[in-house]
Parts: sequence; structure tokens; C-alpha cells
Amino acid sequence: MAVIVKQVKLSWLDRTYFWPVFKGMVITFGHFLRNLFTSTPKRYTVQYPDMKRVMPEGYRGLHELKRHADGSIKCVACFMCAEACPARCITIRAEEFSDLNLTQGFEEKRPRVFKIDMLRCIYCGYCEEACPKDAIWLRKDYELSAYDRLSMQYGKWDLMNTYAEEDGKARITTDPKPAVCSQKASL
Amino acid sequence: MDTLSALLHLSPETFWMIVKILVVFAGPLTIAALLTWVERRGSAMIQDRIGPNRAAIFGFRLIGLPQIAADGIKAFLKEDLVPAEANKVLFWLAPLLAFIPAVLGMAVIPFGQSFESGGHTYHMSLLDPGNGMGMLFPMAIGAMAVYGVLVAAWSSNNKWSILGGMRASAQMVSDELSMSLAVIAIFMTAGAYDPHDLIQAQYGLWNVVPHFLGFLVFFTCMFAETNRLPFDFAEGESEIVAGFLTEYGSMKFALIYLSEYIHLVVASALIVTLYFGGWRVPFVANPGPWLSVASFLAKTLFFCWVFVWVRWTVPRFRYDQLMKMGWKVLLPLSLINFLFHAFLMFRRG
Repeated sequence: MAVIVKQVKLSWLDRTYFWPVFKGMVITFGHFLRNLFTSTPKRYTVQYPDMKRVMPEGYRGLHELKRHADGSIKCVACFMCAEACPARCITIRAEEFSDLNLTQGFEEKRPRVFKIDMLRCIYCGYCEEACPKDAIWLRKDYELSAYDRLSMQYGKWDLMNTYAEEDGKARITTDPKPAVCSQKASL
Repeated sequence: MDTLSALLHLSPETFWMIVKILVVFAGPLTIAALLTWVERRGSAMIQDRIGPNRAAIFGFRLIGLPQIAADGIKAFLKEDLVPAEANKVLFWLAPLLAFIPAVLGMAVIPFGQSFESGGHTYHMSLLDPGNGMGMLFPMAIGAMAVYGVLVAAWSSNNKWSILGGMRASAQMVSDELSMSLAVIAIFMTAGAYDPHDLIQAQYGLWNVVPHFLGFLVFFTCMFAETNRLPFDFAEGESEIVAGFLTEYGSMKFALIYLSEYIHLVVASALIVTLYFGGWRVPFVANPGPWLSVASFLAKTLFFCWVFVWVRWTVPRFRYDQLMKMGWKVLLPLSLINFLFHAFLMFRRG
């Protein structure tokens, strides 16, 4: 394909070469002065370990498994996320759960194992979209690194605690004992 | 001055000589070291970056200044490699050949107004006026600097190096001529070539006004002379790896680089002496020693900054473009400048 190269007709002033260089120097000095009087945090560069970028809304980072107010998991082990996952990184083992009460949503199924292989995950967010219970969220943490592969296998309790500090929630490591609920009698 | 030298049990001449040697040797070295920092931080600011700011002394970052020391220490501690097929003697000699002419350049340039103290006249240049060399000395020594580049290129036994060295020598020939013609016009109008006399002749009107064309030519040639970016063909990272520096590492590399920066300082000092009245202060007839030194330093530092500034503004020329510019533009321009001043002198009689 032929490309027509646009020939720019230079004025005599441009052809002296000194005048364009001078104009360029004015531009670069403008940048110099602007940066000289801009404090470091306000420059374009985010100096990473010291300053952290605030991720935009809708950013898909590390997952969180949401929990109810009493600390029980929202997930009902329906396997929708595992089915939706294009990277096949979610492993779920369900368990039966018979102590019905209100906060656990009257469900009788919950994951015994809920594992995401973060090395496989492509952070597409399909699991979040597939979830009928709004139990898995992709949030803004992007600093995922570890010294070995095993550390990148996030289990159920890892995933439930990923944003515990940030949200001011307690870290939990066991399913809470079902509280005896007053509404149980009416059911 | 007499009491100061008596305190050190030295004759005033000896004492003053030692002071001058310290100033002329350590001054450009210090400025060159600082320039590496200015170059990196300044370019960062011009390009909206941050620049090196991580080196720290006891946790104090001091706006990146420890980077100079860090670079020096790193250069000293690195393994000193000499390529197997290189000419070892010349390979070792080349950094010195680059460094010594660079340092020598400042020897005749007056860095302040001469002053009297206790019946003695003290001149502020390493070689007193009337030494017979005058401004010819820095010109000649500056031209010697290309030997450092050439020897480095030749001894490396590397095709990139030899290409860089050939370019450096061809470039030197093509711009040395127009540079010398520009300077000769100044010698002619001042009727002298001693820097003290040149500065004396610039009383009232700096040479940059009548010799503006010559200044442009000289300034452009100085970029080629110092191997700096619009004309850095000898190094030419984008085409010939690192040119004559390809095989150099550790402190040898640092020495060549340092001598390039010293060249830059000397080039600024030359520009100041030839075109901007040396140590003269505007509207002050006799500035005296302190003010004159400060004025010279300020002007020199300003031109050092202009060298850095232009480097980060203008993209590289192509090799043939420089050749064309050297022979077809700069040489006629400086000839015109020369003939114009010759004509003016002829008309004045």
C-alpha cells in the first residue's frame, strides 16, 4: 500500500534550525520548572513502595469470600463460580450443613474447601458475576506475591480474611457455632 | 595574602601557585562530578520523571546527591575487564589520554580579576598572562582530546568501537576548522590572544554582541567537541552500541565519562572567556577578586546547564547531517563572520 508522506514546507525561520531549537528549549525548560516546583507526591511517577496507587472502581484484584454478620460464610457451594471460571482455578468441596438458622440464610450447604489457585487465576471476574449469593468479590488488592507456589493456593479461610484488616473485621478461622435463633420456632 | 602565606611558611608566590593549582584542578573535577547529578536529575525533571533519589547516607537521601558517591564506589569495585584481543597497553592508556587534556584545558583561563596585595600582583589563572600560549593552548589541548577517543576505539579491537573512533576523528576535523575561524575573528578584533587581554578588550561590550554569528558557530562546535548529545556520534548508543566506550567498564569507563564532563566545564569556561566577558560583571568596572570569581563561576555553571538543557531538548543528528552541517553551514558562517569583522576593521582603518 502506498503511503503519501506529507511534505512539510519549512519556513526560512525553521530552516535556520536555531529558532526551532530555541522553541524546544523553552518547552523543556517549562517542564523543568513545573517539575521543580511540584512536590514529589504530586508528580506523575508513583514511587511504588512508598506511595501506592489507588485503584479505580471496578478494578479486579484479589478475591474476598464475603461473610454474614456473625461470621458465617455466604457461599452456598453451588459451584457456579467454578463452572464459570475459564482458568479452572476454583476448587470447591461442599459439605452438608443442617443447623438451620437465619443468619446463615436457611441454607443447608456450604463449602468445606474453597480453594483458588492464584497462579492460575486470570482475574476476569466471571466468578463474581456468576455468584447467585454475591459471596465472592474481586477487590483492589494487587500485591500478590509469594516465595513458593504453595503459598499462592488460597484456601477458604485465606479468602475470607483477605480484606479483614482493611475493613476492620476480625480474622476468623472456624465456622461460627450457629446461634439459636428466635425465628427458628416459627419455621 | 602575605600573612596567610607566612602562616604556612611559604613564599607568597608558592602559596598562590598551590591555591591556583587546587582551584584549577579540583574545581572542574568537582563541577564535573556535580554535573553527573545535574544531568540525571535535570533530565528527569525535563522529561517529567523523578530521577535517581534512592541513594542515601545514613538514611538521608539529600535529593539524590549521594548517587555521585555511590556511582564512584561502584565503578571502583567492579571487575576490571580487558578484552582478550585488545591492545592492552593502549587500552589502559586511553582513559588517561582522554582525562589529561580535559584537565589541562583550564590552565590559561582566568577565573577572576587579578588583584594586588602586599606589593604583589596575583593573577587568577594558573599560567600568568604573557605566557605566549594564550587561548591557543586550550584550543590545541581540546583538539588533543580526540586522541583519547581514537586510542580507546583502536585498542578495543571491536567494530563498534572503531566505527565510533572514526566518526569522532572525522567529526573533529569537520568542526575544528569553523570553530578556529570563529575564534580567530575574536583574536583579530581584540588584537591579542591572551585571555587576560581578551577579557580586557571586552570592557563595556561583551564579544557575544558583535560576534553573535561566531558565538553560534563556536557554541555548536562545542557540542561536537564535548561529544554531547546532538552530536554524540563517537558514542551513538542507538546505532553502534556505545561506540568507542563499548569495551570499557568499571573505573576506566568512569574516567572517560568524567573527562567528558570536565570537557564540558572547560568548554563552558571557554565560551564565557571568549564571548561573555570572562569574570566581568555587568555595570561594574572593577568587580574585585571575590565578585569576579563568583561572576565567572555563575556564568560557567549557566553554560554547563545549557549544555545539559540542549542535550535533553534536541534529538541526535545523523552522521552525514553533521558532516553536511560542519562543512556546508558552519564553515561558511564562520567565514562570513571572519570576513565581516575583517571588513569592519579595514573600514575603521
